[in-house]
Amino acid sequence: MKHALSIFGFTILVSAFYWYVSLWVPQKRTEPPEDIAISQDLTTDEMVAIGEEIVAGKGTCLTCHTMGDHSTTLRFPDLDNIGAVAATRVEGQDDVAYLAESMYDPNAYVVPGFVAGMPLVARPPIALTDDEILTVIAYLQSLGGTPTVTMATTLEGQGQSVAAEQAAPVAAGGNRDAETLFTTYLCNTCHSLDGSPLAGPSLQGVGGRLSQAEIYESILDPDATIAEGFAAATGTMGTLLNAVGFSEQVSAQELQSLVEYLSGL
Amino acid sequence: MIRPSGLIAPFPKTPRAGMPMIRRCCATMGRVLLIGLVVGGAMALLCDPAFAAPQEADPDYRTLPFISSRVAIWIIAELHLMFAAFVLAVPMFALIIEYIGYKTGDKRFDQLAYDFTKLLSVSFSFTATLGALLTFGLIVLYPALTKYLVKIFSWTFLPYVLLFFFEAVFLYAYYYGWGKFSPRVHLFLGLMLNIVGTAIMFIANAWLTFMNTPSGIDELGNLTSIWDAINNYIWMPINIHRLIANMAFGGAIGAAYGAYKFLGARTLEEKAHYDWMGYIGNFIAICALLPLPFAGYWLGVEIYAYDQSLGITLMGGTFSWLFIIQAVLIGNLFLAANYYLWLSMGRIAGAERYRKFIKYLLAVITLCFIVWATPHSLVATVEEARAMGGSHHPILNVLGVMSAKNTAVNLLILTTYVSFLLYRRANKDATVSWAKTGNLVQFGIFAVVVIFVVFLGVYGYFVDAQTRIGLSQPQVFSVLFAMVAVTVIDIFLFRGAKKRGDIAWGKIPARAQYALFFLAITFAWLMGLMGYVRAGMRQHWHVYGVVRDTSVDAFTPTLGFAGLVVSITVIIFFLFIAVVFFLSGLSSQKNWVASPKRTRRWFRRAKPADELDAGTLSSDAS
Amino acid sequence: MNLLVLLVIVAALAALQLVATRWVTVNRLAWMAVWWVAIYLGLAYGINPPLPSSIIVLFMAIVTLALAVYLSADSDELASAVQTVTAFIVEKRFRVALLTVLAVLPLLVALKVYTNLSNPPQPPSSSRTIHPPPPASIIFDGTAIDLATANNPYRELEHTDPAAFAQHVENGRRVYFENCFYCHGDNMQGAGMFAHGYDPIPANFNDPTTIAMLQESYLFWRIAKGAPGLPSESTPWSSAMPAWENFLTEEEIWDVIIFLYEFTGYEPRAQGMPH
Repeated sequence: MKHALSIFGFTILVSAFYWYVSLWVPQKRTEPPEDIAISQDLTTDEMVAIGEEIVAGKGTCLTCHTMGDHSTTLRFPDLDNIGAVAATRVEGQDDVAYLAESMYDPNAYVVPGFVAGMPLVARPPIALTDDEILTVIAYLQSLGGTPTVTMATTLEGQGQSVAAEQAAPVAAGGNRDAETLFTTYLCNTCHSLDGSPLAGPSLQGVGGRLSQAEIYESILDPDATIAEGFAAATGTMGTLLNAVGFSEQVSAQELQSLVEYLSGL
Repeated sequence: MIRPSGLIAPFPKTPRAGMPMIRRCCATMGRVLLIGLVVGGAMALLCDPAFAAPQEADPDYRTLPFISSRVAIWIIAELHLMFAAFVLAVPMFALIIEYIGYKTGDKRFDQLAYDFTKLLSVSFSFTATLGALLTFGLIVLYPALTKYLVKIFSWTFLPYVLLFFFEAVFLYAYYYGWGKFSPRVHLFLGLMLNIVGTAIMFIANAWLTFMNTPSGIDELGNLTSIWDAINNYIWMPINIHRLIANMAFGGAIGAAYGAYKFLGARTLEEKAHYDWMGYIGNFIAICALLPLPFAGYWLGVEIYAYDQSLGITLMGGTFSWLFIIQAVLIGNLFLAANYYLWLSMGRIAGAERYRKFIKYLLAVITLCFIVWATPHSLVATVEEARAMGGSHHPILNVLGVMSAKNTAVNLLILTTYVSFLLYRRANKDATVSWAKTGNLVQFGIFAVVVIFVVFLGVYGYFVDAQTRIGLSQPQVFSVLFAMVAVTVIDIFLFRGAKKRGDIAWGKIPARAQYALFFLAITFAWLMGLMGYVRAGMRQHWHVYGVVRDTSVDAFTPTLGFAGLVVSITVIIFFLFIAVVFFLSGLSSQKNWVASPKRTRRWFRRAKPADELDAGTLSSDAS
Repeated sequence: MNLLVLLVIVAALAALQLVATRWVTVNRLAWMAVWWVAIYLGLAYGINPPLPSSIIVLFMAIVTLALAVYLSADSDELASAVQTVTAFIVEKRFRVALLTVLAVLPLLVALKVYTNLSNPPQPPSSSRTIHPPPPASIIFDGTAIDLATANNPYRELEHTDPAAFAQHVENGRRVYFENCFYCHGDNMQGAGMFAHGYDPIPANFNDPTTIAMLQESYLFWRIAKGAPGLPSESTPWSSAMPAWENFLTEEEIWDVIIFLYEFTGYEPRAQGMPH
């Protein structure tokens, strides 16, 4: 028993010693990255500021890239003068095009002396949105140059990010069937299929009453023609569809399948 | 697709560190069924649309009073891991030792293998209980994550549970069947036990490595290939790394058991036996420790290959200081292992000849330790930084980089090997005619390899990064070559050697036994620390890049906090281990006899008082 | 490296070794103490620039551990060391020495506590960079200024039009005393009326390691962007310097820079010289 106790004491002593060692090193708690809201009417300066934050934060660019380190043993290109050299890297590409390519397709061109290996920042886990990439480009341009990019600039390669993909799942094959769409976008809350009137007219037999073109119109511009007896509901359907993200998210293919489904009723 | 609401990538933020995940489990038969029920129940729950439908009602996380969910899961998972590592490691070397006993006909080896195996059955139950606790904990505290992982890995649960069942059968057959079967059949049982145990670990490793380097899924987290999900980037490296690390850990715990029994031993025979057990355990641990850096190197390479920023987060970012702590731990391991070997030489007649080398070996170890523990970026006060002319010290800067550290590790390994070599030849005088030449050749090999390793280390400063990384391989191989070549020469050199005396097992000071405990504790702590970094490098992700941690524990804690959790885990683990040691010792206790004078506490041996006193005296006298 | 100190230490060790082998027996405990002190002196004074104390602590911890291992790796030596210590405590002839040690030990602790407490509180150690490398260019009021090539546009007036230059100096003086002197002080020693409240303290422009070794464009960057513009590599920073681009015009900033150099008598570092 005596031994067991002294061994146990020894265990506590050694563990405490290692705890002390772990307290001796710098203590830093890392918080998860903040999401930065980006509006469409940012000024250039604001874009630069947000881009700088993303470069240091969510973009995790500075994990690999340095700013102002001119030693010869760098493993990744230094960025402190990128705004000046971006336009000179690839023949025929201006600085915006070059910076866009180096983010959407980073290994298409690798700076001589370095090894390809940069991740696709538009894809997870970094998953920058197109807007975020625009601000990053603005910031990079400001390093040694003058930002020319605006929130309205379109870039080669946009639409790759996961956010874009979720907004438009069509891009990935668009295979949600019409019945799913019918419930996903809450059509069924106002339109019954069994003839009973809800907030909107029942869709029972709608294919017999309306042509496909008319069904298209009823969905895309609901207030163009109001069904008899539902004048009070004018404007409701358009508002609701916008609220559930219908117009941004449904692809042409899906819309077509939905219309075909309805005209078959 | 059932998607855990709010967890998939682009939704809110979070990090996460250190929730070591579903790990390999083992269980007694009853518990196998229990876990089967739990897993089956969870799967049924998920498949049943009635439960899947009202998703809003399902929280992504639940909380515990007093302790954060993450810390709770962290501690349980780490304890489970430590016990599982032990349970998987012991059969490996028990089998090897038993085989040696079978081949040589030396009964001592058989007894030693049995002594190790005795520790198994209780540990096995503990492992299973902790595994069940972990499973419950994950289902209750992290329902959304668990649901996602179950969805990905549902196919692996059935083989897992089945293997579990077989593990239990083989383990108990191996343990209870000791001496009851023919040696060959018994060895076969041991082999099957190892195979099944390893397979179980491989399956559980797939679950947790998937969380670090997810593969086999599309960008929205849907499974595309179960095999790719299992065989992700770091699955094999982790498998190998853990196999070896388990050996080291199991050896160290086995040695600690030997030390514990040694300190409590009452007779010389007991002392001799447990001294020997401690020595063998330590030997296994050190042998397994030597290739571990190389396995770790492979693991690192695969992490970089999967995602460079993940690799840099690990080695250069938030966690770079963790590797300074690791350097302190491993430096201590080497120091303690050598210390034990030097003290062990005390039991060998003729070892005095080699005492004088100890100080040089120690000097090399200390120097390498210092180089390895030198951080790349320094903590300095404002005045100190001013004096240095910046945050980098011109001299320390040279020591803080990979070239210097690789060289230091290789020299550490080589020095430990030299200590062992001296121990090996302590009581022998070579009688072969070429003894002088042989010694000279051995010395020459050492000299050449040391010069080569140091040269490559220095050369690394003058080449670019890509070449520099490549230099570590010739360093490693030259050290391996030296160890193999010198061992081979040594075997022939001391064939038919004149013996100066026998090894007096049991003649070793108590502090050597404490060195063994120190090794075991350090190994456990190191395991806890590396478990933390394995889990923590995902930062604010549950499954890196796929399932984001949106809980309140999403941040990565400070290293001091992680160190505290690891320390607490280690202490709890050794409390459990104490129970295991105690229970394992019961079978060799004498039967309880009613005695009118029995006033001793119930767990004391029922020995006549005079014998007890004599025994206590003799053990104190050592 | 401070070779002289290292040589002295090695020579002292060698001399002790000589004495020990010829005349007196020095047991291992004493040797360990000697080695410990020698290594400590070597680390603390033998290396130039001096090592940070955190590193010395780390190295000495390892050395202590190694020496303890060495001492106890040999049972006889350990026994003799223990015997020495026991003798020191038990034997009568050491009574005075023992009492002295027992009295001095707590006094040493007290001294340590006293010196720690009587020192002004120190900022915690950190890896903060005081003069971080500037960015290649900054955006001032919508236009990019390349810091590597930017010159003070009014500097040349010093030779071409001294009267106009004096105007700029006067304007700089006005700007300085309207805005800067509250912290940087009326004689630019960083001791203005608010200075004592800050950590780090405001820059002392008379210090030859501040503006005397910087280019004017560096000053422009630090004044225009202030503490918020410090790059992340110099975090954790806690400077109270405002970003003056929000309050001053470009001309006012250049003027106040001219005034700083005029007042202190320093010349700005020429362009093209590396930091």
